[in-house]
Amino acid sequence: MTRRQLDIFNRQDQAAIDKTAERVRKTEATWPLRFTVNGKPVEVAVDPEESLYDTLRERLRLTGTKGACLEGECGSCTVLLDGKPVTACLVMAPQVAGRKVTTIEGLAADDRLHAVQESFIAAGAVQCGYCTPGLIVSAAALLEENPQPTADQVREALEGNLCRCTGYTKIIDAVLDASSSGTEDKANAGVD
Amino acid sequence: MYFQPKNLDEALEIKAKLGADGTLLAGGTDLVVGIRKGRTQVSNFIDLSKVAELGELQEQDGFLRIGAATVHRRLESCAHKALADAAATVGGPQIRNLGTVGGQIGTASPAGDVSVALIALNAEVELLSAARGSRRLPLADIFTGPGKTSIADDELIRAVWVPHGRRSEFYKIGKRDAVAISVVMAAASIGPSNDVAIGIGCVAPTPLRCRRAEDHINSHGLDGATINDAAQIVREDVSPIDDHRAGAAYRREMAGTLTKRLLWRLLHSKGG
Repeated sequence: MTRRQLDIFNRQDQAAIDKTAERVRKTEATWPLRFTVNGKPVEVAVDPEESLYDTLRERLRLTGTKGACLEGECGSCTVLLDGKPVTACLVMAPQVAGRKVTTIEGLAADDRLHAVQESFIAAGAVQCGYCTPGLIVSAAALLEENPQPTADQVREALEGNLCRCTGYTKIIDAVLDASSSGTEDKANAGVD
Repeated sequence: MYFQPKNLDEALEIKAKLGADGTLLAGGTDLVVGIRKGRTQVSNFIDLSKVAELGELQEQDGFLRIGAATVHRRLESCAHKALADAAATVGGPQIRNLGTVGGQIGTASPAGDVSVALIALNAEVELLSAARGSRRLPLADIFTGPGKTSIADDELIRAVWVPHGRRSEFYKIGKRDAVAISVVMAAASIGPSNDVAIGIGCVAPTPLRCRRAEDHINSHGLDGATINDAAQIVREDVSPIDDHRAGAAYRREMAGTLTKRLLWRLLHSKGG
């Protein structure tokens, strides 16, 4: 990407962000919402008709969660709701009252990245990066439930996350690497 | 306005007061998209996410009683194969963790995978209102058109009742495995007295129960010849449309093919 292309890209991105922020700010935040975000209890006034995606990004400034289609097709905005992956764009903010939400920001512990984040970096499983937070959240949920998935199980768990750079192979490799089956494979490979 | 009832009684009271102006919100996977695309206007939301009773899944009187707010993900492991397979093909994991059975029925899309599986399992739907209490009727009977049901304005879907003792199969044709609306899908089941039920989706204004094909098999028995007849009857009885996903002729052809495939599976698994 040339400097000029990057400038245009950033301006467009910023314009989109500003537009959303303005839309959310203009609505009336009349609904007191209490829920847990990344382990911390949060109380925030929201418009009851806004989505969890808007609440996270525009009110709590947790901008790691990305929105692309905003209609539940692409999985970019995936967060964990009570430990289960959901598309934040389809959840109405009041629906998460009293529940636990984990975003990409909540996966790292202190200054240590989550195993899936580490393995995405190591495997080069990132191209443009826009789908990456959603994919990592979905993958983390899979490994929580099934620490030793097969490649097919990884594909199934990630079927609701689209990568338009289409670099799926390294993404699947990265998830397998982060799993305990990946660790075992590596250990076995070392012995051989 | 946004209402968030804390229990079933409260939800029914609000629904009774608002009638058609109160839109029920369950998983939101269809409603929220509709609003964002400008297809759906909502003046009042009735958010059912805090009504715990609607999420109950229990065995009762020879039926599996599925609370209306049960998410698809939970049904993926259920004992009724057609239902489990249909639930597993809905959207992707994120959608299946949100979308509910009652939501899919209420949405009344002809492409509702789970609705078609439930129809083929002879499921009944339990509706509830503050004024008249509950009523149960065959699920296949409540669909009246695309997005339309005979559910009254003061009613909500309480649960779905699926009778035990039926073997069932489901098959979906879609553009890809996940997050793709079905092009055609079908389900069939066979009961203890070898009675057959068939449901087909995306080939009519509503999820379709193919009574004429069922009657033919149920009066002549299930074998290779009646399976071929049933497929032909299905092709005659469907009324598919052309759209960007597939042509009407293809859908008609496949409706018969899926009928044949599912009935053969049921016939084969009968002996062994």
